[in-house]
Amino acid sequence: MPAAIVVGLMFAVSPVLIAYTPYEAEMGLVQKIFYYHLPSAWMFLLGGIVAGVASARYLRTGDVRHDHVAWAAVELVVLFGALTLVTGPLWARKTWGVWWTWDVRLTSSLVSWMVAVAYLLVRRYAGPGSDRLAASLALFGMANVPFIYISVNFWRTIHPLTTVVPTLPVSLGIPLWFCTFTFLGLFLLLLRLRVRLEAQRARLDAIYLSLDE
Amino acid sequence: MRAVHAICAVVLALGCQGVGAQTQAKDPALPPDPPPPLIAPRSEPQPLEGVVFPVRQQQDDGFRPLSELPPEEQLPAAPMLVGAYAFVVLALFAYVLSLSRRLRAVANDIVTLEKQVKRSERS
Repeated sequence: MPAAIVVGLMFAVSPVLIAYTPYEAEMGLVQKIFYYHLPSAWMFLLGGIVAGVASARYLRTGDVRHDHVAWAAVELVVLFGALTLVTGPLWARKTWGVWWTWDVRLTSSLVSWMVAVAYLLVRRYAGPGSDRLAASLALFGMANVPFIYISVNFWRTIHPLTTVVPTLPVSLGIPLWFCTFTFLGLFLLLLRLRVRLEAQRARLDAIYLSLDE
Repeated sequence: MRAVHAICAVVLALGCQGVGAQTQAKDPALPPDPPPPLIAPRSEPQPLEGVVFPVRQQQDDGFRPLSELPPEEQLPAAPMLVGAYAFVVLALFAYVLSLSRRLRAVANDIVTLEKQVKRSERS
């Protein structure tokens, strides 16, 4: 509960902090989308890694707790991926003049998001044994994460490079890192709640079984 | 441009040779002229008669930075910014709401089933 209050307060303070941040010289006001877009994208990638590692451990050990973590993380991948894929085009429309372009970073992010959606569809509709099939999908999603990150450095792209963040001035860096820690706290909080939901569902199934017996 | 420079160099070199030939007729008491330079001095190339130089066309590849567009054609930034932040807040709120409902529903089911289990144990 205290963690939820802290994250809630940080989330409430972040727009105020962003409002007082100076305008970036070239892009102006629309650059401020960046303070929610970039942390969302990082949580999107973090979720992909968590889901992949948990799925690999589940496939190796068969421990359902890892499966619960993977399922919860993939749901967050879909959530934060949607935030990234919606806020990005809103920025691009103003800066690039188009909503979407088949740039390598954008395309690989969309593919990764669709893999996460496929995972959830498999879990919901594929029936018995879908857990292992979905875990394989999560591994594929995790393999895509480094590709998404480094793609802008190796392919010709109009997306800002990974070198932008380390070279930010302090006045723009403080709100970015504040929002990043806010989103990280939110990610961990939601992950914990979602894992708890899966644990409760497992408990419910166990009670059903005991009633049947 | 290189061709023009080469032609000028040849013309200057020939001119220097002609000057050298004239100096032979000068008074021998005068000091000799310095040797002609190996590289012709750089001068502004003059247009040659009968040679037509292509006029440099202004490059137009269809790209115009958005910042150079007239104000009436520029998109306002505020709706994009407000739209992005509103979407983030609403999506997170919707997810938290959905998660809390699912948690509450499962917790209620657990309580109901546990009561049934206790009743069945008593009976």
